[in-house]
Amino acid sequence: MFRTVTGFFEIVFTLALVVVAARPLGAYMADLFQNRRTVLTPILGPIERAFYWAAGVKSEDEQEWDAYAISMVLFGGACMLSLYAILRLQAWLPLNPQGFPAVPPDLAFNIAVSFVTNANWQAYGGETTLSHLSQMVGLTANNFLDSGAAIAIAVALVRALTRNESTTIGNFWVDVTRATLYVLLPVAFVLALVFAAFGVPQTLVGSIGAATLEGLKQTIAIGPVASQEAIKLLGDNGGGFFNANSAHPFENPSVWSNILQNWSQLVLPVALVFAFGRMAGDAKQGRALLITMAVIFVMALAVIWKVEAAGNPALTAIGVDPSQGVMEGKDLRFGQAGAALFADATTGTGTGASNAVLESMAPISGLAAMFNLLLGCISPGGVGTGLYSLLLLVLITAFIGALMIGRTPEYLGKKINARDMQFAMFALLLSPALVLVFAGGASVVKIALDSLGAGGPHGLSEIVYAYASSAADNGSAFAGLNANTPWWNVTTGVAMFLGRFAHAIPILAIAGSLAAKKKAMPSAGTLPTDGPLFITFLLAVIVIITLLQYLPALALGPVAEHFLLQQGTLF
Amino acid sequence: MLRYFAKSFALIAVAVVVTCGIYPAILWAIGQTVFPFQANGSIVRNADGAVIGSMLVAQPFTKDEYFQPRPSAASYDATASTSSGYAPSNYALRDRVARVIGPIATYASGDKKGQAVAPDVETWFQADKFGGNPHIVAQWADAHNSIAQAWVTGDPTHGAFVDDWSKAHDAVVQDWIKKNPATPQPKGSDLAVVFFENFSNDHPGAFPSSVTKTGADGKPATSIEPVNTGSDIQSIFFDMWRSDHPDVALNDVPADLVTASASGLDPDITLENAEFQLDRVAAKWADDKKLKVDDVRKEIEAILQDKAHAPWGGLIGEKLVNVLDVNLELHKRYGDPA
Repeated sequence: MFRTVTGFFEIVFTLALVVVAARPLGAYMADLFQNRRTVLTPILGPIERAFYWAAGVKSEDEQEWDAYAISMVLFGGACMLSLYAILRLQAWLPLNPQGFPAVPPDLAFNIAVSFVTNANWQAYGGETTLSHLSQMVGLTANNFLDSGAAIAIAVALVRALTRNESTTIGNFWVDVTRATLYVLLPVAFVLALVFAAFGVPQTLVGSIGAATLEGLKQTIAIGPVASQEAIKLLGDNGGGFFNANSAHPFENPSVWSNILQNWSQLVLPVALVFAFGRMAGDAKQGRALLITMAVIFVMALAVIWKVEAAGNPALTAIGVDPSQGVMEGKDLRFGQAGAALFADATTGTGTGASNAVLESMAPISGLAAMFNLLLGCISPGGVGTGLYSLLLLVLITAFIGALMIGRTPEYLGKKINARDMQFAMFALLLSPALVLVFAGGASVVKIALDSLGAGGPHGLSEIVYAYASSAADNGSAFAGLNANTPWWNVTTGVAMFLGRFAHAIPILAIAGSLAAKKKAMPSAGTLPTDGPLFITFLLAVIVIITLLQYLPALALGPVAEHFLLQQGTLF
Repeated sequence: MLRYFAKSFALIAVAVVVTCGIYPAILWAIGQTVFPFQANGSIVRNADGAVIGSMLVAQPFTKDEYFQPRPSAASYDATASTSSGYAPSNYALRDRVARVIGPIATYASGDKKGQAVAPDVETWFQADKFGGNPHIVAQWADAHNSIAQAWVTGDPTHGAFVDDWSKAHDAVVQDWIKKNPATPQPKGSDLAVVFFENFSNDHPGAFPSSVTKTGADGKPATSIEPVNTGSDIQSIFFDMWRSDHPDVALNDVPADLVTASASGLDPDITLENAEFQLDRVAAKWADDKKLKVDDVRKEIEAILQDKAHAPWGGLIGEKLVNVLDVNLELHKRYGDPA
């Protein structure tokens, strides 16, 4: 009971801080992406112009959707190439105090795709594989830039929805620069300072040698953690400095840092929804999206917290006190509520970090986390990706809803036609195609199965989760799976690549088509998209679509494991 | 196309300067000047200035005089943080936990309330009946192949023992090969199950364990011998004993005492866990320093209460004890362990 009360307090406190901060941040972003002056313009303006000067960008030129999409893809390609090069050459580059060798090609490919698509799927242990240069230059820079690119895509779609008969949807180079410079950088800077004050190290030393109180030798890996930690969470990247990610005491030293970590994963995705409401000139539309996200988020949270607090029946049977809940794979300082909130936030957004081991959580927690991923990470979604993925589902829902009652499908005054729906369906069906085809393949190929860390239905959960996570560019994982093998590095790399780019291109195509349309005034024949009816319908469409796609896989994996574990069957 | 690439690389280059140069450098400068203790890893040093460790990172404690941190899948290696990665339904997790509980489990009610379960586990083991059927060791190996195999591969002396056994039991090995034609040259671990079945037949109520004896030359020599008491019996077979005695009430142990953390470096234990270890710690210090157990126990209890912390007066999280923190205090108060 006591644990429930304190946990409840922690959760409410964190979520309240998110909403309080997200509102003004959303207003700030709306100004920023509508070319208005912001409070930071006097300070960052010169740096922004330096970016444009260096890259030869004319900031007042706008792009049509195809040029915007090409810019986005080629920018991603350039990031990937440069990161791949750094990883392959790290042995010969400076700032390598531990003397790590070059990263092997398959792993380097995986990391490069992973960090450029915002997935930060980590098939490796950070402190045992990467030099400080790779961590700082390679990963940190991409953590900023890929989140900036994702914000750009979302902003382009929102502009398209709110403009009237426009051929252009913005300038990718300007959007990515502003998102990085005006949004990610200043917030990350403040966050990193607070993290450092809480005990997250920021040093250039590679490791510290200690003689313990009992006189044993202990070497402690350390480094510039705080600067990476801030952008890792704020940009919903999730790639940790250490193998244990946000469970490592240097990444997340206290209950306070954990509250801040949860806050920083959630704040920008939520702020973008506020920005959307403002740019659309109709806060109610933003509110409808936010409620939809919140319903999914809170339901998953309740499930995870409840089952984790109940403990593992297999251990209770041999005399482990269940009152602490499932403690294998959890550090004490976060508590069950702090761990459940993190697990929900990290899969509901695109972060994919972890402060507790998902592999060791109860099967139904794994199910809830997996469900978050299979929904496409929309509660509240990754920075940028969450907003545009949910808007895609809104368009589909508006289309279905209008057809059901015999009206012309439209959203925010924009008519939705057959071609828009074709693109939308392509983007929607991409994820099940990637997840089910790859997971099906991995279930029968020996080199894939050799990596499994668990027998029985949990093994299937590991496979489905891995591809769900990479296709949604989330990056979280069941740690039991040994993902650093050529099969897993290549297949998850391909899934992450397509999950980002093959998903974003049709969305920009829809943006192009919607921008060009005339904005109709709402009439009696318009299906309102901001009321409880529409929200309920949207939730139903989202859940039904997802269950239709994945129910068999979920039933054979986590659901089967749950019932077997309850009756005492172990593997 | 090339134009776009050129733009991209230029943008990346400027971004690298800002996000990888200026951003961390300013943070570094502020961290090192404003809060150097935190920015450098919360390091504690002894009186001579030598590094003892980090307050944030668990370090191994093996002596009974000290409180012990949670089990670590990383073996407290602070250069390679990791968890066990065990699924909740993985038998290896249950087995690991059962082996810790077996030797420390106590009855919660009845005539033997408060007494250890371990002697009864040994008596039950010697009777050699599980679920009404004979040969506990054979049934154990049958039910948990991978655990039996891990016994063979986990220790070179075990492996050598099984090799010797297989040479002496050629007929059994040939029979195994006939049933497993895919493995014509079985290794020790392949033969683990049949080895234990055979052993159980030859030595009912016994398990192969390392025994150290003084040899004829006066030096200690270790060999594998059939034993029916001791830590192997108490730990390995506790789980089976429990399923044979499901209705006996035992005292639960705190979950954090037997579970491995996510990082392998969890610096804390619950106050509950510390209280659980208190008898052992107090008895050992009293013995070392020739003090009264009750006095020492009271003193250490006071230290625990003093060091236990929960943010905002317990409004967030629960009461935890930093293991290094209390052990430093014990060291300050009582000196080096004997």
